Amino acid sequence: MNRPVLTMKKLIALLLAFAFVFAACGDGDGDAAVDGPTIRLRGQDFSEAVTIAEVYGQYLQAKGYDVEILTPAGFRTEAIDGLRNGELDLIVDYIGGSLTALAPDAASSSNPDEVVSVIGPAYEEIGATLLDYSPAVDGDALVVRGDSTASTISDLADLGYVFGSSAQCFERPQCFLGYTDPAIYGITFSDTVTIDFGPLLGEALAAGEVDAVVWNTTAPQIGEQGFKVLEDDQGLHPAQNIAPIIMTAVLDEYGDQLRDDLNELSALITTADLLAWNTETDIAKRESDDVAAEWLETKGLTS
Amino acid sequence: MVVGQAAVPRDIGILEWLFDSQSWTGANGIVASLTDTVILCTIVMAVAIVTMVPLAAWLAHTRRGEVSVSWMVTLSRAIPTFAVAGLLVPISLRNGWGFEPWPIFIALLLLALPPIFLNTYTAIKQVDPGAVDAARAMGYSPANVLFRVELALAASVILAGVRVAAVTVVATEPIRAFLGGDGLGRYVRDGLGQNNDSLVIAGAALVAGLAGLTALSFRTIERVALPEGVRRVARTATRQE
Repeated sequence: MNRPVLTMKKLIALLLAFAFVFAACGDGDGDAAVDGPTIRLRGQDFSEAVTIAEVYGQYLQAKGYDVEILTPAGFRTEAIDGLRNGELDLIVDYIGGSLTALAPDAASSSNPDEVVSVIGPAYEEIGATLLDYSPAVDGDALVVRGDSTASTISDLADLGYVFGSSAQCFERPQCFLGYTDPAIYGITFSDTVTIDFGPLLGEALAAGEVDAVVWNTTAPQIGEQGFKVLEDDQGLHPAQNIAPIIMTAVLDEYGDQLRDDLNELSALITTADLLAWNTETDIAKRESDDVAAEWLETKGLTS
Repeated sequence: MVVGQAAVPRDIGILEWLFDSQSWTGANGIVASLTDTVILCTIVMAVAIVTMVPLAAWLAHTRRGEVSVSWMVTLSRAIPTFAVAGLLVPISLRNGWGFEPWPIFIALLLLALPPIFLNTYTAIKQVDPGAVDAARAMGYSPANVLFRVELALAASVILAGVRVAAVTVVATEPIRAFLGGDGLGRYVRDGLGQNNDSLVIAGAALVAGLAGLTALSFRTIERVALPEGVRRVARTATRQE
């Protein structure tokens, strides 16, 4: 009749072989000098955030923490959800962005301390701790072509520009709704175009398909292509310093050392660093982890 | 009044959004988006049919290029539509042609050509040689053989190819919303960007609904337009494939 392809002996041998392979895999990086749980960290899925995650992750690894840098995925919502459902232990976010996600109705402020006073408690509610924010800022920017007559956002009021941005801007009070709100900027745009956040914004602006796009201040293409960042004269854009947020339970396990280490790193990163990293990844097309490793080495943060 | 999208509340129900008359009207309403989509798809299909049916019919009628044709069709099916459109957008922008319509038009056209070409070619090649010989013997000119015998007998399979192409194009057109355009895909795009699940699901349902409706309309056309005898021939042919 049917002869079994796998005899019991072969099956056991196979299972044993697999068991050995997996046991060997699991032993990869067991040389953590600091005792404590694994810190799972994941960057948001755009180049600057990926580099930031690599910088924080590789820095902690060099300090001897057991860190797992996960494949970048999603944006702010997914990052905060990751903390909430226990998938992640550490995220790095822009404080003004956190404000729009956690307290959409709170008044936005260009003063980072005011923003932190709102989102600090909000993060505590989901069992996470907001650490010191960095001087590095990647703010929202309303960007126009270099030959535009406008120099402040207010100047756009009657120019009848075509407005371009990603979909989420259209529902945010600190973005499209704020620009068009008569009580704030009261701009009348002649048309709107939804464009994926990224280099396509610059292409569309250069081609004249749109006249003003919502980008970020550290986009290297702004300087490369001679665009102009309009001054936010009404202070609509919130402060966007970067700051690490870590699950309180993990922080408590490690104690003050982890807090101090992270605060020390945050204090060292500057806005110029962000721009330099983005130039490396977006213009020179280098890998984020190499850019991060190189920066940490120059700063003497990895031995 | 400001031009722009009104924000859809995040806690809105799927049906609540779909049955709200405000969702359907206005420059960003479902009716306007649907019209955008239908117009683009119609133009793409018209161009695909007008170019591919005569070309494939002539090639099949004269039995030319059988190997190269089959290779080209197979390869063209491997083209990733979104990548093509995505690559064409910056090129189009740099040349001052704008976001639309060229990138999405070309990408969708590349998607529509193979099924129409392949079905026409195969259908005409598979016409019973006996019927063709009989027509020739009765003194039909080559043109008459092609139009009154081969194309007539092949009509059903050709229409099936057109239907497949149309459904694929309609179901793929929404990628346009992710490339600086609008159309029916805008709700999925906005829903994803604004973290609004109801909008994503309702938008996807609209796209699926339109694709289903397209398939249904073409089925009806096939049923009404073709005589019973031809349909029977087609059924036999399909079964043999």
